[in-house]
Amino acid sequence: MRLARFAVAAVTLGLLIAALHDRVMAFPVEGDQTALPANTELNEDALTRPREVFRSELTGRKSYLVNLGNLAFSSPSIMGGVARQANVSCGTCHVNGAGNAKFFMPKMSTRPGNFDTTGPLFNPKADNSLLDPVRIPSLRGARYLAPYGADGRMASLHDFVRNVIVNEFAGSEPSPVIVDAIVAYLQDIDFLPNPSLGPTGQLVGKVSESERRGEALFAKPFPHDPGMSCAGCHVPSGAFVDHKQHDVGSGGLFKTPTLRNADFNAPYFHDGRFDTYDQVVAHFDSVFALGLTAQDKKDLVAYLTAVGDGILPYEHDGAGASLKEINDFATVLDTAIAAGDKDVVALAVDTIGGELRELTEQYPDRKNTSVSGGEQQRSNARAALKQVVLLLRRVDIAVGEGRTADAATDYRNYRYLMAAAVPSLLASAEPWSLFNSSVHDQHYGALRQVMQSKHVSQ
Amino acid sequence: MQKTVALCLVAFALATGMCRATAAPLDAAAERYRPYMIEGIGSALTGARELRERIAANDLAGAKKAWLSARAGWERSEVFTAGFVPELDALIDAWPNADSGFHAIEAKLFGAGKTDVDDDADALVKNLDGLNGKLRDMPLTPQGLLDGTARLAYEVGESKADGGESRISGTSLDDMRNNVAGIEFAYRTIFADALKAADAKLDQSVTARIEQLKTIVAAPDLPHVDVRALRQASEELLVALQAASVKLGLHQPTLEAQSR
Repeated sequence: MRLARFAVAAVTLGLLIAALHDRVMAFPVEGDQTALPANTELNEDALTRPREVFRSELTGRKSYLVNLGNLAFSSPSIMGGVARQANVSCGTCHVNGAGNAKFFMPKMSTRPGNFDTTGPLFNPKADNSLLDPVRIPSLRGARYLAPYGADGRMASLHDFVRNVIVNEFAGSEPSPVIVDAIVAYLQDIDFLPNPSLGPTGQLVGKVSESERRGEALFAKPFPHDPGMSCAGCHVPSGAFVDHKQHDVGSGGLFKTPTLRNADFNAPYFHDGRFDTYDQVVAHFDSVFALGLTAQDKKDLVAYLTAVGDGILPYEHDGAGASLKEINDFATVLDTAIAAGDKDVVALAVDTIGGELRELTEQYPDRKNTSVSGGEQQRSNARAALKQVVLLLRRVDIAVGEGRTADAATDYRNYRYLMAAAVPSLLASAEPWSLFNSSVHDQHYGALRQVMQSKHVSQ
Repeated sequence: MQKTVALCLVAFALATGMCRATAAPLDAAAERYRPYMIEGIGSALTGARELRERIAANDLAGAKKAWLSARAGWERSEVFTAGFVPELDALIDAWPNADSGFHAIEAKLFGAGKTDVDDDADALVKNLDGLNGKLRDMPLTPQGLLDGTARLAYEVGESKADGGESRISGTSLDDMRNNVAGIEFAYRTIFADALKAADAKLDQSVTARIEQLKTIVAAPDLPHVDVRALRQASEELLVALQAASVKLGLHQPTLEAQSR
């Protein structure tokens, strides 16, 4: 199954992604008039996004509940206080249901990729007066990964989701259907497929000698405690977890994290203290006195890398990807308008409208000095997106006033424009958009240069 | 292909209620906007001249104050600038790394804390002066002013989570307040009477949304602006203005300056 051509493709993709990551120029939140601390890095301008694989799409279409959950997961309006103000949603940290290794928030993070869920910013009532951030985990395969939380304190994903909204981010009590929907969405996110793994978690196909030796070491009992092994906790046949908490010398009891797709989930450990598998292996060697040779360590890293792989982990963020997500969200309106469900319509219009406005900003207006050319195309793209934002708002107003038939007509018009005219206009403007890497770099480079003047003076 | 799609959008706008009738009574009303426009740009020009003097005196605090004053006049005038004088608008308000204009000066004064912006200030004065010279004879159309009012109303609802347009000086909220003041003046002066006569309920709806915007931007600072309510009010105002355009015998307002 593990074909050579796949390996070549994977390497090529890896190089491409490495190149893309090198090129990405991050632009942090700035100024002293924002709800988030200055120098917060949300990595929202990244040109690549983790790829999302849905179980239900393997055999059919995502359900209403899954789409509603995805929508709510992407909606700042289910959060409270600062998060809502700052446009922070679940998806800000868990991009497409994965993690966000570049996320960094002063006072709430100690390094990129971690976040203090009991810090002072988002809900002072939840503040434990300690800077104790936890790694932002990928949620792929969440249905296999109970209990929840880095310390595994919650058996129920439903309870965990509610806790995040209400306690960690000060949101209002969510309606049961919203929590159910988010749970359905999370449970629908699959691991990225890894053709190197057989059904019971063993390496299959073309396996290198080093990977084979690593696999054997992984299952080998620890010298000073034969009842223990790596595989004893990271059970290969069970998504590489055992659903238990352990003390592995990192400062307490923490649940066993999955190794599936872990190549893309750095940093590692509950607080994200390690950047690489080498560091992780060295830690275990030291804490459990494993007596690993240099070759053993290399072999274990080779094994972990093979286990943690996945097909096409990233996708280019362009108009196509954005519109697909927006169209998936909009399917919720098919049901909600007919049912006259004001709350869900309002949530959908708020969230989709926000996404469409963000998409509009990918096509710089004519006053933007960092972009030249394509003025008419950019203007047309912006006008079209604004037009559909307003159609959605008409839907919201109509449903709010009980005019369901009018709402259905406006929604049909929205769908009509989103089916062909809008994608076509966005495609025409794409060369001058921030989805074009050179335009992207010019734009963010210019912004960064301007912002730097402020830091130089301080 | 793109032209075809753009035509489709126009056709769509036609199908959803765009209408054209004579708007002659509004022409006279549009003239009532002219003094406001002259006052706003005049104020921006006075501020820019003061800015130039403070810079020459190496007075950073005074220069910042003058920049803020000039900026306020400009932001109140944005109902008409993008549509009626797009070239000067782009020169005066370009960002992020403009050679001259408000934001180039803002970055140096408020960012770097330096007053070496003589050339930029000269250019700003020159451009504002040039604009000022056009104002008395510039043909003002009700359609153009409705377009500008609508576009600015949409812009006010844009996310300011990153600090907004004037993030270096920390005055994005002032920009928004002045924008809303400009929207309110344009609506009340040019369109309110005609709309009240044609559809009093719709006039109430527009007025109520403007009042909502005013309340929202009266927040003490940007982090306390209810951004979701702001966006909703902005979009509801746009929807009301779209409906108003039909009642007033005008085209539906454009959403981008060059998109008609």
